[in-house]
Amino acid sequence: MLPEPFTPQFLSQLETLRLRTRKEFLGSHTGNYSSPRRGTSLEFADYRRYAPGDDLRYLDWGIYARSDRLYIKLFREEVDLFAYIFVDASASMAFPSPKQKFLPASHIAAALSYVVLANHDHVKLHLLGEHSNLVASPFYRGRRRITDCIQFVTSSTPEGPLELAPALAGHLRKLRRPGKAILISDFLMSAASYQQGLNLLRAFNLDIAVIQILTRQEVDPAFSNGSLRVVDSETHAEIGFQWDAGARQDYQAKLAQHNSQIRSFCHQNGIHYSLYVTDRDLDDFIFATLPAIGLFK
Amino acid sequence: MEFLNPAALYGLLALPLLLIPYLIKRKPQRVVFSSLLLFTEPVKRAGGRPLGRLRLPLAFFLQLLLLTLLILALGEPVFSLRASNIAIILDNSASMQTIEGQQTRFALAQEKARELLFDLGATGKVDLYVTTPRLEKVRLAAFEPSEAAAVLAALTPHDLADTPINYQSSLSQMAKEGKYDRLFLITDHPAAGQTDTLRVITVGQPRENFAVSSFSISRASLVGSRLEANVEVANFSSKEERIRIALRGGGADISSRELSVGGGKTAQATFEGFRAYPYYEVEIDGRDALPLDNRRFAVPPAAQNLRILGISPRPQALTSLRAIPGVSLDVIAPKEYDKIDRSGYGLEIFHYTAPPALPGNPTLFVLPPDDNPLVDLEKPLSRPAVSSWREPHPLTRYVNFALFRPVFARPLRPRVSGETIIESSAGPLVFSTAQSGVRQLALGFDIFPYLGRENLPVSVFTLNLLDWFFHGSATEGRATGISLTFGPTHQGDFLLTPRGDKLTLHAGTNSFPATYWQGIYQVDRGAQRTLFAVNLKNTNESDLRQPTPIELRDISSNGAKMSALFSIWPYLLLTSLLLLVVEWFVNPRPLRTRSG
Repeated sequence: MLPEPFTPQFLSQLETLRLRTRKEFLGSHTGNYSSPRRGTSLEFADYRRYAPGDDLRYLDWGIYARSDRLYIKLFREEVDLFAYIFVDASASMAFPSPKQKFLPASHIAAALSYVVLANHDHVKLHLLGEHSNLVASPFYRGRRRITDCIQFVTSSTPEGPLELAPALAGHLRKLRRPGKAILISDFLMSAASYQQGLNLLRAFNLDIAVIQILTRQEVDPAFSNGSLRVVDSETHAEIGFQWDAGARQDYQAKLAQHNSQIRSFCHQNGIHYSLYVTDRDLDDFIFATLPAIGLFK
Repeated sequence: MEFLNPAALYGLLALPLLLIPYLIKRKPQRVVFSSLLLFTEPVKRAGGRPLGRLRLPLAFFLQLLLLTLLILALGEPVFSLRASNIAIILDNSASMQTIEGQQTRFALAQEKARELLFDLGATGKVDLYVTTPRLEKVRLAAFEPSEAAAVLAALTPHDLADTPINYQSSLSQMAKEGKYDRLFLITDHPAAGQTDTLRVITVGQPRENFAVSSFSISRASLVGSRLEANVEVANFSSKEERIRIALRGGGADISSRELSVGGGKTAQATFEGFRAYPYYEVEIDGRDALPLDNRRFAVPPAAQNLRILGISPRPQALTSLRAIPGVSLDVIAPKEYDKIDRSGYGLEIFHYTAPPALPGNPTLFVLPPDDNPLVDLEKPLSRPAVSSWREPHPLTRYVNFALFRPVFARPLRPRVSGETIIESSAGPLVFSTAQSGVRQLALGFDIFPYLGRENLPVSVFTLNLLDWFFHGSATEGRATGISLTFGPTHQGDFLLTPRGDKLTLHAGTNSFPATYWQGIYQVDRGAQRTLFAVNLKNTNESDLRQPTPIELRDISSNGAKMSALFSIWPYLLLTSLLLLVVEWFVNPRPLRTRSG
């Protein structure tokens, strides 16, 4: 029995989607994604001169008629896709509660996994936590493995601090095949930190998509006016200040600027970016927002 | 501007308490948040503010203003319109002699009165009143302010207790009749409420005090000449004190001793074996607020024997008393009573008769007629049995009540407050009372003739009775304000007051009512000189801890032409309500919780 929101209707809708990649990868089996290799698909790639032993079925008889020379038509190879989904499992994803932030992130990860699995591609889930704690699933293939995906991603508890670049580096060190990388995080970290992490993914020749998860409390904090001491959920550092309408406006302006910087960085570097505030409808986000940014075909 | 209820202004002292909720609110609320990344900027800004966390919102200042206005409204502020016709009532009772710092309360009251006269202006009119010996005008015609100031300075307090005045009705009536713009009562009693016209000005604070509450000189027994002095000292404070008592006779020191008196309690001391003097004085250490009640005076019993005046239609029965040692008896018929000088008698016995009013001497009524001033008499009983009696009591000492069976008796129904000493099943048989410190006793049966051993229970009771009167016979002195009675005077007789005033008495005078000062009064009637001790006998005046408040609520000032005061508290209240509405909008409403 799959948890909410993985109803049969939801899964059926997910099956209609396919991840879109902007890069060509070398797959292991025949699939639906184009490869840099020449192969037997219907998509024409190039010509080369005939050499004895070539399959006569691929001779371009039209060219031969016009030029009396023998050319062989070459076609692209279509291969399967390797998708890597990185989910931020640091303590900040448990604010204000795991149910309100980490669980929606897990559902998005599981939904994207199902999209991959339904197309007979490979998906691997990575949990980003403390540098020393590298947790990753095996590669899953086939839609029946969705239960394993959900089990893996929901069984973990978000805790501890996160340094994005070192954590990603730890996972990427074991990565052998390029593919599609999807990073799900709240990105409540310094610009240098997330830029370093995303650049690391780019360096591994991955086609990257970023989904930023925030809760409503993070977008519009509901503190009572007055003196406040705020404790960082990851580092436990404290700061004190006076919370009032002015402070709220300052915070929201700062958040908007922060998100804008992330979006800008992603656009400049060919990374799909989308923001999901967890009080929004998940169906709407997956079936409307993500296709709109070009994550799905 | 004045405040009719100035005590409410103490509420202003509580205003800083309004800061407490803001200080509590200022204690930072500790919350966990996903990241501090976006909070760094507000912290810098808060740190840069000069007052840091002490920033108070606009709502605080609105609330402060609101509370201030409410407290001011509770103080009942009024704008005074200039009064032109006022009355000043000065409390000149004994407690106004209490010393407050360097001055007496009465001097403070005079100062307050002078201030009122100064405010009145030159064209105003003022009536001056004093409260003792009765509430009355100092002069019938109204004073000019300057004239009143001179009269005011000459007034002195009396050694008299407060006159029992119903201020509610008396002052209201006075304001109505005098058509005063304002009427000021200057006293040492606190006021509970004031009105536009009637104002109470209180001088003095509650104080601790010690007083001689009783002093009497008597002979130790009916048949001896030895004197003894009994002194009772009261401590009107909360802690125990050692008080030194000094006894003087005719101005010379006789003896002294120290007495420990618990807080709020009394203690007694007895001095014995001293010489006879014309008068005696007892004094305690003068370390307290009211010096007046630290002294008391007494004169020794007038005669060596107990002088009894018997008034009876059956004189033969009374003459049997002459058989008792230490007793001298004169018996007269009732119709001669008004014609003789009764001042030297220690006891008057009314046997089957009664005077129209209670005499100044101690009195025994034996089966009085129905028109007596003390008791009503019930139906006669034959040989009634005594059902109960007071014990211990000097009158019932050594009496065998099993054998005490009067042949004839009429139970008594007292008309005045007192105590029943002996009672039968049908009602009281012996009733005692004390009016102005003078003992009176009523018997519902006849104890005469005195039969000695032949009727021992009644004889013992009779001796007890004589001893009781003997010890209570006017040796304690009289209370201030009570008339002195003496024999008819002749031309040239005079009276010396404790202040040294020599007053010539008109021929035929037999009383002197103006005993306004404590001390020894001397009446010289030719060769005969009589001393009277007069004391302030009122513990209410001595107890300065909690004076009785004067209730002035609900007094109407119908007689005043118009109110001299213009109340502004309703406007303050209205402003407060408007501020409350503004504060309702300004005060930040609680944030709504958003579900995640």
